[in-house]
Amino acid sequence: MLRKTLSAIAFAIGLASAASVQADDIEIGAVFPLSGPNATYGDIFMSGAELAARHINEDGMLSGDLKILYEDSQALPQQGVVAMNKLVNVEGVPYVLSAFTGVSKAISTLAQRSQTVAVNGGGVGPDLAELGEYFWNVIPLANNEVGALAKYAVEDLGHKRFTLVYVDDPLGESILNELEKTLPPLGAELVESHSVAASAQQFSGVAARVRSDNPDVVYVASYGSQQLQIVKQLRDNGVKAQIASYSAFSVPELQVQDEAQGALFTTQSIEWDSEDPVTKRFVDDYKAEHDKNPTSYIANYYNAVRVFALLAQALEAQDKELTGANLLAQRKATDTFDLVGGEVSFQENGTLLAPIQVLEVDGSGSGKVVSVKASD
Amino acid sequence: MLFLQLLANGLQVGAIYALTAAGFSLIFGSTKIFHFAHGATFAIAAYLFHFALAGLGLHWTFAVAVSATSAVVFGVLLDRFMYAPIQRHEGSFFTVFVASFGIGIVVQNLLGSVFGRGFMSVATPLSNSVEVMPGLYLSPLNGLAIVSAIICFVALHFFLTHTFVGKGLRALSENPELVRTFGLSPRRLSTYAFALGSLLVVPGAIFTAAGTGINPAVGHHVMLISLAATIVGGIGSLRGAACAGLLIGVAENLAMWKLGTQWSEAITFAILFFFIIFKPSGFFGRATVS
Repeated sequence: MLRKTLSAIAFAIGLASAASVQADDIEIGAVFPLSGPNATYGDIFMSGAELAARHINEDGMLSGDLKILYEDSQALPQQGVVAMNKLVNVEGVPYVLSAFTGVSKAISTLAQRSQTVAVNGGGVGPDLAELGEYFWNVIPLANNEVGALAKYAVEDLGHKRFTLVYVDDPLGESILNELEKTLPPLGAELVESHSVAASAQQFSGVAARVRSDNPDVVYVASYGSQQLQIVKQLRDNGVKAQIASYSAFSVPELQVQDEAQGALFTTQSIEWDSEDPVTKRFVDDYKAEHDKNPTSYIANYYNAVRVFALLAQALEAQDKELTGANLLAQRKATDTFDLVGGEVSFQENGTLLAPIQVLEVDGSGSGKVVSVKASD
Repeated sequence: MLFLQLLANGLQVGAIYALTAAGFSLIFGSTKIFHFAHGATFAIAAYLFHFALAGLGLHWTFAVAVSATSAVVFGVLLDRFMYAPIQRHEGSFFTVFVASFGIGIVVQNLLGSVFGRGFMSVATPLSNSVEVMPGLYLSPLNGLAIVSAIICFVALHFFLTHTFVGKGLRALSENPELVRTFGLSPRRLSTYAFALGSLLVVPGAIFTAAGTGINPAVGHHVMLISLAATIVGGIGSLRGAACAGLLIGVAENLAMWKLGTQWSEAITFAILFFFIIFKPSGFFGRATVS
């Protein structure tokens, strides 16, 4: 009898404490690849998002502790929709972090229908700017990145012949379209484009085709383990042309890969040694925690979480509920945000406008800036 | 020259495919177990080779030994502690398949947790190609992969035709009941089949770690190719699986001579469909009547 009573009391206390934790926490969601070949990105994105949550909670910016609920997308659209469904319909979060072009496109419909804000900090397909007003991007998109790289390669380095190796998915297609549009006005040409399946791992044949194209620049539009395999096999198989890519090259493994040294890539421009307090705190704390320099992806997801905190803080000050609709209205009413990289503003379509920098892989972990171009 | 280059690449890739496919075919042909975790064996062998060489700093010969031992131990343990109990309880073919599939997923995640989920490769000058004639680049790995495959197949042929266990394995694939009549243990032979089949993935795993690089999901592709090669070669035929592996590797590369690069992977399935429709028994398989 006594045991039963004690069990009932313990159960009641457990329920009460669980309820009090739930009442205090403010939850947002994240649909990241946590398993599969692109899981390395999930770890990178999480490190930025978690650092932001830590800073927000340390500063007491919100009425409760900010907690991020992670769901695994495996970087696949279908898995992404399942994860988004759980976050929206079961957890009821008003704000979800998203990544990868295919996944972001897939979840955008649900975001729009449920009035849940989805924020992308990793996918760069240009059409991500047109997924409705509940879909935001805290990363410049491929049209800005490809344009900046092409200008630098053609105008500053004098390269004219480009070959593209691209993954056969929405991201790869969008980069192909951008290169076809961008190069001719600059007096350069896309001599050949080679698409590869997302699951492909053998590229010695692709390297042979690239060599026969005789290009000045090989633009690699892939991500995850595959882009490292492409770079390695291009170099191992005698391709000596300049290798170039977009912000996917800012992953640590590629930055220290022998075969990738000297490759060019683009990201939004961030001055890591800036004295701006938000940037400085982010860089110092990241370095202290991970003993290495942060990359733009980490800054993007830090910024994505910080945008939520700034909006939620403003809504709480007005005694408004933290809903997707209110977050959207507040974003439209806010001119600028103090984020890592400085003061930035959203365009009408929900995409951040930021200058683009061209970097060279130099083994330092974050690349050496060789040029900064304003976003078009 | 592009044709020659693609052919050379295809022979290297095909040699690796042939070995892994032969391993799968040996296990499937002898034991009738659909060993989907064969891809996991490949991944374990590749990762432990990388770990022994780059992580522990061992000489490459010891790294090869670590890789081979891990592959054999994994295969044998699976046979003894997973497949054998399922078969004892008269589990269906599908039960075995699901269990094996599950092990593949578990191994993939374990490798990701232990070694990281990113890309890894063995840094070796052997993977660097040199221009042997205008437009034709070959790396020492190209030649090593082909020579290793030939040596392995000669040794395998000798083992299966000249040793008592080898003859027993061949008999097991033909008639397990007859094997029992002759006083041999099908269970023990099954263990030998797993040990030998798992050992055959080791050269491919090592060359992949050095050539294309590895990630925890590397086993999926291997499994896909092994399965296709087993069907194309004729179920139960080692020679067929080896030839089909070589054919798929060469076809994947030669497809890029005239077709777009995106056809490279699709060609495997085109070959598979061709055989399923026009020659269901495969290269060397025997036609059966159900």
